[in-house]
Amino acid sequence: MIPNNLQQPMIDLLLSIADDKFILGHRIADWTGLAPMLEEDIAFSSIAQDELAHAQVLYDTIGAWTGRGGDHVAYGRSPSEYRCAALVEVPDELQWDVAIARQFYCDHFDLLRLGRLARSKDAQLAALAHRLAAEERVHVEHMDHWITQLGKAGGEARERTQRSLDRLAPAASMLFEPTEGMSLLEAAGLYPLAERDFFSAWREDLTRVAGDAGLNLRLSLPDSHAVGGRRGRHDAAFAALLEEITEVYRVEPMAQW
Amino acid sequence: MVCREDILSVLRTIDDPEMPISIVDLGLIERVEVERGAHVHIDLLPTFVGCHALPMMERDIRGKVSAIPGVAEVTVRFLFSPPWSVDRISEAGRAALKGFGVTVPRRPPEHIPGSSQLVELGTPRPAACPFCQSSHVRLESAFGPTRCRMIYYCEDCRNPFEHLKRV
Repeated sequence: MIPNNLQQPMIDLLLSIADDKFILGHRIADWTGLAPMLEEDIAFSSIAQDELAHAQVLYDTIGAWTGRGGDHVAYGRSPSEYRCAALVEVPDELQWDVAIARQFYCDHFDLLRLGRLARSKDAQLAALAHRLAAEERVHVEHMDHWITQLGKAGGEARERTQRSLDRLAPAASMLFEPTEGMSLLEAAGLYPLAERDFFSAWREDLTRVAGDAGLNLRLSLPDSHAVGGRRGRHDAAFAALLEEITEVYRVEPMAQW
Repeated sequence: MVCREDILSVLRTIDDPEMPISIVDLGLIERVEVERGAHVHIDLLPTFVGCHALPMMERDIRGKVSAIPGVAEVTVRFLFSPPWSVDRISEAGRAALKGFGVTVPRRPPEHIPGSSQLVELGTPRPAACPFCQSSHVRLESAFGPTRCRMIYYCEDCRNPFEHLKRV
């Protein structure tokens, strides 16, 4: 059971995980039917399904606590109530290198984050996070494979991948912006710190793969004063994206599907 | 009075919606209890989180179990603890899947001391092609027709086949 004063911080943390997956899942679902080869079409469609399924089970968990149901949590909020990082919102304009760079940063971050939650004192959340992490791991392996292929291919593939990794690096660092009250959850063992420093672990994992493939990463922690998506600050493009995603729900909030 | 064995024998007749294997052989059933002889509680462990087949399974279970004479109420829950794993699939289930062209990863060799469980998870490759038993197989795609399956290709009989992911 989560103490009363930690419930809102926990909701914010779970929303940050779910909202990242929800928006990213929608973003990469755009590749269904358009990926560079059939196997990738299946892979990206599967990954999108996984992310949306993960978001759904987290929204249902929050919805059960707040008594308003998972659909309301997913679709019934205003843009400033979303806790996703700006990186998941970045459009890829159907450029493969952008999609891979974005997914590479996000999946590694997500796996480490779920690994921490899997050690939570809250046994139910820990069990769920453990399950989600096992599925997420397959995504990480797939992205590592792509980064290796694109980097080692050299030429245009390497150049474009390097350019996208560089361009997305500032947004990637904002994945680490803490949600409101996160330090309280860490202190209470509900979202325990890992043995390895969170940011260093992420950078090391990414660098091991990218470095081997001849790609350079320039990653740093965000300025501690920077406010972004984890605290509800999103740009106008996010509001437009959300409007499209929530259109059916707003037309008929009681719809069942 | 309905007994637990009656419920289990009905559950054995319900197949996974996407593969010819009963939900019992697939290892999905974690708990079956009959309260006061009439209220049946069934706990299931989903293979994948938010699997699309879950609502279909729940409908099949409710339909068949509530038809058993004496059953007044059926409660179905999906749980994540303990986590489902391919190790829960029975020998009969493995044989049924093999006949269908789907292989099941072997158990991992053993626990690596000091490593976290999250790190050692991973899908060992199939021992042999389900059609010709050749061990000359290669991974074609880590993703397949459903979220729980990957695609392998047999270099000898030149058939693609599916391999369950170890999660």
